[in-house]
Amino acid sequence: MIALRALAVAAGLVILWQGIVFVFMPPPYMLPSPLLVLQALRENPDLWRVHAVTTLSETVIGLVSGTVIGAALALVMSFLPPTRRLLLPVLVVSQAIPVFAIAPLLALWFGFGLASKIVMATIAIFFPVTSAFADGLARTDAGLLDLARLYRARRWQVVTVLRIPGAFPDFITGLRLAAVYAPVGALIGEWVGSSSGLGYAMLFANSRSETAVVFAALILIVAMSVLLRAAVDLVTANLTPWKPETR
Amino acid sequence: MNRRAFLMTAASVVVMAAVRPLPALAADKLTVLLDWYVNPDHAPLVIAKEGGYFAREGLDVDLVVSSDASAPSKLVAAGQADVAITYKPDLMLQFAAGLPLVRFGTLVETPLNCLIVLKDGSVKSLADLKGKTIGYSVAGFQDAYLSAILKSTGLTAADVKTVNLNYNLIPPLLAGQVDAIMDGYRNVELIQLGLQGHPAVAYYPEENGVPVYDELIYVTRSALRDDPRLKRFVSAIEDATIFLTNHPDEALAMFLKAHPDLDDAINRAQFAATLPRFAKRPEALDRGRYERFAGFLKDNGLIAAVPALDSYAEEPK
Repeated sequence: MIALRALAVAAGLVILWQGIVFVFMPPPYMLPSPLLVLQALRENPDLWRVHAVTTLSETVIGLVSGTVIGAALALVMSFLPPTRRLLLPVLVVSQAIPVFAIAPLLALWFGFGLASKIVMATIAIFFPVTSAFADGLARTDAGLLDLARLYRARRWQVVTVLRIPGAFPDFITGLRLAAVYAPVGALIGEWVGSSSGLGYAMLFANSRSETAVVFAALILIVAMSVLLRAAVDLVTANLTPWKPETR
Repeated sequence: MNRRAFLMTAASVVVMAAVRPLPALAADKLTVLLDWYVNPDHAPLVIAKEGGYFAREGLDVDLVVSSDASAPSKLVAAGQADVAITYKPDLMLQFAAGLPLVRFGTLVETPLNCLIVLKDGSVKSLADLKGKTIGYSVAGFQDAYLSAILKSTGLTAADVKTVNLNYNLIPPLLAGQVDAIMDGYRNVELIQLGLQGHPAVAYYPEENGVPVYDELIYVTRSALRDDPRLKRFVSAIEDATIFLTNHPDEALAMFLKAHPDLDDAINRAQFAATLPRFAKRPEALDRGRYERFAGFLKDNGLIAAVPALDSYAEEPK
């Protein structure tokens, strides 16, 4: 159902795009027609596969490592309160530094391979995960905690049975945000130094005025983000049966 | 606002527009997009502006800097400005991509691009490039350029790894992330490295298989190719270049006065190194040189066919 709706929206956008090209007839270096973009995609499928696999692996590895680090930080801050006072300002400051500005430095430190892109994707996404998960951990239902006390539950039981599962809905919110931001981190990494990837392909095509190729890369990036987001929805769909989405 | 009031307002706007005094003797505006931030490559333009050469030709020239070297010519093609400074190879690729661009003048008449390695690095000759990583920033041309340079020493493009550094060339070279850089300039990066305590060596493409070309040129869009402002613009540039050549010290002082932020040892050295490379005949079009270079690009598969020279280059009328 959602897939159908997404397809309909995409088709509508393509028709609008073709309409604009039809009416205003911009030269292809300003706005290529959807057909030209499709042609750019079909011209070199092997090359696109290489670029897409590069960016996808950077993104997915970045997403996993960012989520693990983000979740771990949230857990540490929730259960060792003194670390919260220490870590929180650092985290907030880290988000105030634009990744784009330090990207050239990260490339110098981590090289022009996979590592620097993963680091950038990780930096781009761990914060939404940390902050959403930490909020969830801090908002366990007081009634349930009372109940746990009545039953003399141990501290670790309260954590594993009540606090962590109770924070899942918030964690999922963070994860959904992360799935959309992760490709941006990887792209910024490719922007400052790379030999393959969708960002590399865009940069390359841009300086050769091959606007249709720029659009083709853009479409693949968007498709990747949408798929990633859908994958997160799929994986987390049955994680919180007690708190289903209501309409 | 009722209908009557609206009509009155509309009418008064029309009248005001009609009676607004026209600047009778104002100079013609011309917007020029530089290929990059202001640097000694742009000395003739800065001198022509500061020394009154543009004004003498009745031109009011606006120099606009860029942070993406491939953008200015696209903006001119799209009608956002009148003149762009771009690179000879880029003009050929952009023209082939359908951008209606025409060269009408030369700023720097030799290649500036070169392959730079650190003097104490692992590359002691071009043959040492085998298995090394080369960083570049102007995508597109580097394939042909690198193939030609490598071929001169018996290597092929498959023998090296390339990384697009997107204009951030020097730090990765110093950090050892790349072993050589392309798209750095003999009059800019090479000098900067030396003065910052990292002596470097340049390999010149035109000495290693690439036909000599004009690095920096002035382009406009086809619709403006007969615009009389272009001829006056290039005339002013010619006078400014002669002044630069005859009075380099005064010209440097004028340049630094206009851009005090560039007043340092590196920019002074770069200025001196750039002086001999400015086109003394900025209007002149070397047809043979253009044809040879177009043939080189075609042989390397960067353009499908050699376009008619007059379609993308002219001497201003």
